[in-house]
Amino acid sequence: MNKKIQISKKFQKPLILLIVIVILTALQPNAFPTLSNFKSILLAISIYGVMVCGAIYPILLGGIDLSVGAVAALSGACTVLTIVRFDYSPEGVILGIFLGLCAGILVGAVHGLVVTNFDVPPFLITLASMNIIYGLTQLLTDNMVISCLKPAGFTFIGGGRFLGMPFPIYILLLMAAVSFFILNKTILGRNIYAVGGNPSAAALSGVSTKRITIISYVFSGFTAAVAGIILASMNQQAIAKAAMGYENDVLTAIVVGGASLMGGEGSIQGAMFGALLVGLLNNGLRLMGVPSIYHTVIKGIVIIAAVAFDIYYRNKNSGLVRSKKETSASRKRRREKRKNENH
Amino acid sequence: MSKDVLLCMKQVEKSFSGVQVLKKVDFEIKQGEVHALMGENGAGKSTLIKILTGVYPKDGGTFFFNGQEVQINSRQDAKNLGIAVIYQELSLVPTLTVTQNILLGQEDVKAGILNKKSMREKVLALMECYGLSLDPDAVTETLSIAQRQMVEILKALTLDASLIIMDEPTASLSSKEAECLFEIIKTLKEKKVSILYISHRLEEIYRLSDRLTVLRDGENVAVLEKDQINPTEVIRLMIGKELIDDNSHGQMRPFQPEVVLKVENLCRKGAFSNVSFEVHKGEVLGIGGLVGSGRTEILRCIFGADRYDSGTILFNGMPLPSSVLKRIRAGFGLIPEDRRNQGFVPLLNINRNIAITNYDILSKGNMIVNKKDEMAMCRKAIAQLNVKPNNPEINVGNLSGGNQQKVVVGKWMMRNLKVLLIDEPTAGIDVGVKEEIYKLIEDLASKGVVIILVSSDLKELLRVSHRMIVLRHGRIVEELKEGVVFQEDVLKAASGILGGEAVNHE
Repeated sequence: MNKKIQISKKFQKPLILLIVIVILTALQPNAFPTLSNFKSILLAISIYGVMVCGAIYPILLGGIDLSVGAVAALSGACTVLTIVRFDYSPEGVILGIFLGLCAGILVGAVHGLVVTNFDVPPFLITLASMNIIYGLTQLLTDNMVISCLKPAGFTFIGGGRFLGMPFPIYILLLMAAVSFFILNKTILGRNIYAVGGNPSAAALSGVSTKRITIISYVFSGFTAAVAGIILASMNQQAIAKAAMGYENDVLTAIVVGGASLMGGEGSIQGAMFGALLVGLLNNGLRLMGVPSIYHTVIKGIVIIAAVAFDIYYRNKNSGLVRSKKETSASRKRRREKRKNENH
Repeated sequence: MSKDVLLCMKQVEKSFSGVQVLKKVDFEIKQGEVHALMGENGAGKSTLIKILTGVYPKDGGTFFFNGQEVQINSRQDAKNLGIAVIYQELSLVPTLTVTQNILLGQEDVKAGILNKKSMREKVLALMECYGLSLDPDAVTETLSIAQRQMVEILKALTLDASLIIMDEPTASLSSKEAECLFEIIKTLKEKKVSILYISHRLEEIYRLSDRLTVLRDGENVAVLEKDQINPTEVIRLMIGKELIDDNSHGQMRPFQPEVVLKVENLCRKGAFSNVSFEVHKGEVLGIGGLVGSGRTEILRCIFGADRYDSGTILFNGMPLPSSVLKRIRAGFGLIPEDRRNQGFVPLLNINRNIAITNYDILSKGNMIVNKKDEMAMCRKAIAQLNVKPNNPEINVGNLSGGNQQKVVVGKWMMRNLKVLLIDEPTAGIDVGVKEEIYKLIEDLASKGVVIILVSSDLKELLRVSHRMIVLRHGRIVEELKEGVVFQEDVLKAASGILGGEAVNHE
């Protein structure tokens, strides 16, 4: 019985993806199942997919990073502004990417330090810094669109192709692999799950919860910066609003992927599944001509459903909610009682 | 049943996962009496209270209130009958005022608007009636703990409570504040309110209570009238005479000359002061004392989890490194009191819970975990400690209490331990596993590991310890280092009745 559930659980996620793909194919037989559409789905996923790779770390700790979209815009702006300042030279590209990444790392470090030293709820600090960073990026860009159509070294990151596939997909694969490796093979990863699962027990086992927390926020800032640079390169421009609202897709992907907002539970594989599902959802809605206003409504419903299901399932397992078997048994009892009364 | 009996519980039974905690307990309380409930930890006191207040469902038994049979199936049922509990952790809203807290849920409302004036007057009248003085407009979080307790009591009185249960009410009060509480109890008694008083502090019981019920191993072993209550008798009843011969005493043992851990004048404000002791190689030092006497805090300071204000801790003659991690590397280990919240990570499997303290050994200095070694270590721990089920992939949260504790112990056993600090190792654990854990402690000690054991279970403390110190209010009041030590000796020192009657040890 137990084994049966485990097997079906293992195939649950691929099965859901398959069902969604079949439904979309049936609904849009001409537009959906084409190679170019699949490539465009993957390309769209790659931006927030990269963010997901890092944003899952604070969530595994029971925290959250809402600033990923804002950080992406900031990093994109830093990179583009540097390239423009250095007259589109290759050195400018390298320095620009370096500064863009530094900006993300710096923001992450500030988040980590504030969360660990002042005990500010992560939700609050990253919500506030999301607004601060958004404002800062507007200041940096003078609230204008800064174009950057060259050099090829820069535009290749987001717009290039390698072996027939858009280049950002390779970056996504690389980031996912790195993230997977850290979470599953290193002591750091083990400690992240331990701190997220029970911070007191981890601390009494000699785990530096502070260090782990800071590293997690730094990594989240770093991946947001990577995504921001890809996005700037893809759009060949920097703009403060570039990645506004991306945190929604990122969080939806992570939560739909099975991570618990209480910390200690979740995986990169799951989050990537979530990212794919969100990508398919976005794509399907667009193909079917659903007005974009409804997109946020529908995605909101998906996130609520996923979280509600997650919590319900957890409570059921812990015995807080009466399981189906019990209720059916009690229903049966009630029915029998009624029968007896009638007799 | 006589007329003045307020509450009568008959043949109450309760089991938790097959273990019978209450065995046909009879209990009654008269109108306007202070009735003390005593018993060792695990005797069933809190279970009885929780059944009475509707927190746990009972397995069997009947309740009579004012002579009528009643059903208590929820907290609300108990409340409706007029049974109120003053909990150890107070249940007030810290940001509301005294008046708001007292009348929470029963505010005076006229057309949806609060009648603040009448509420204030109501509270003032109530305070006058019971001779209490508090500022009705003070915000609760600015009050002292004793004052908050008063607010709790007033809150109970507005609900027309005829029975107020006080669970260790003086645990966090100063002696002056406790005095004040005793006055309140006296007034309540005069107003015909019954009080069920639970405390480990024997001197309070003698002073306050009109009658006393002793529970032992889930059975009501005696109900004493006021003139029958005397310290020796109560302690004997709590411990059980038939056990005196085998388990109730322990033989203290001589120690090796080599001092491993030396604690000198250790102070932590609000927890303990001027604590000094030495522990020798291969010795098990037991620390006795009541809950809140500073035992856990001392262990946490030695482990590095908390800071201390002054004093020194020397390990093999050297000062200790600062962080928990460095102390673990130096050979320290801690088995914490609160297993579920501090001992293990429930969502992680046995494998990872064992590995958590041992990555320095498993990784050999590099960042990557060697999964083979990790699994080998886990299997070794599972075999050594006989963890059931022996599947390393099972989440520790799904194991039974005893096996969870084995995992907590196991993560330290895989290291080269020098000092193991153990806090309440067998709370909520069945007898079989208890014995296994005692064996482990003995094995470790025979290998030269220094062990400091804190326990509220006196039998356990006496069985395992080589030498004992007893704490009271954060100070060492007694050291028991030679000869045979009885439970009475420890209990008396811990509860402050050193000058009681001489106990015949024969």
